[in-house]
Amino acid sequence: MADGHLFNSISLGGRGGTNPGQLRVHSGGIAWKKQGGGKAVEVDKSDLVGLTWMKVPRSNQLGVRTRDGLNYKFTGFRDQDVSSLTTFFQTGCGILPEEKQLSVSGKNWGEVDLNGNMLAFLVGSKQAFEISLADVAQTQLQGKNDVMLEFHVDDTTGANEKDSLMEISFHVPNSNTQFLGDENRP
Amino acid sequence: GDGRTAVRSAGELIAYKSVNELPPPRDMMIQVDQKNEAILLPIYGSMVPFHVATVKTVSSQQDTNRNCYIRIIFNVPGTPFTPHGTNSLKNLGAIYLKEVSFRSKDPRHISEVVQLIKTLRRNVMARESERAERAT
Repeated sequence: MADGHLFNSISLGGRGGTNPGQLRVHSGGIAWKKQGGGKAVEVDKSDLVGLTWMKVPRSNQLGVRTRDGLNYKFTGFRDQDVSSLTTFFQTGCGILPEEKQLSVSGKNWGEVDLNGNMLAFLVGSKQAFEISLADVAQTQLQGKNDVMLEFHVDDTTGANEKDSLMEISFHVPNSNTQFLGDENRP
Repeated sequence: GDGRTAVRSAGELIAYKSVNELPPPRDMMIQVDQKNEAILLPIYGSMVPFHVATVKTVSSQQDTNRNCYIRIIFNVPGTPFTPHGTNSLKNLGAIYLKEVSFRSKDPRHISEVVQLIKTLRRNVMARESERAERAT
């Protein structure tokens, strides 16, 4: 278990799209390096607080949550990688990855789940998408029922994607009881 | 149409039944899947599908820096002229995605997407209202 597993085309997903790279899972934790250098991510085993697996089109996605509230998403794992890594994480880190499901029904109504600085939009308890509140420049209440989130804009935004998300808004009907009377949260 | 007629609402339209039905991920750009009547939006490195029947309006705009913006507004309950009917009662308590806005470097791609969404939406809505009419 000293050397661990090496995966070659694993991309790190985030606000600016995806970056291809190489991921190493070893006894000390998780390390990812961008192809051709540049960005790197290292998570020490002791900083790991949660792991998730989600089936995505043509691939599997590993979610890594750290003690300081960061959330990394790595895509590009084959089905057989999922089982071998699950065993590795369980025996090496004592963490059993949780299984998440992706919603593909195409509905625009569901639930909003806030976990750390991640906001997940769930449809029928499956995840449709997730955004990081750390990237939100400002939030605005529009009328009584709409919450608008505006994302940071800079020159690097959209470096790896052609279309970049700038704003997203949610409609919270009066019938919703989840966020009743809490004006600081969507 | 006071909500009690047997209207097949937009809520019953499903874009995909399973993850494997989604088109292979391409560039992180807005895609229109005519066959499955879906639009796919790049959100945080994933292509997120929405059935075209959930779309209320789509528009685009260009600024002086040759940036192009596309705004998609979805159907939510409580606004006039949205085909919800019984739907909003069934989803009582739900939170809705109301609007998304994207910036693009490719105005031609954006105007194509806007046209495709508009046409697809019109066709699906016409088919559904015909179906609803036949049912009554």
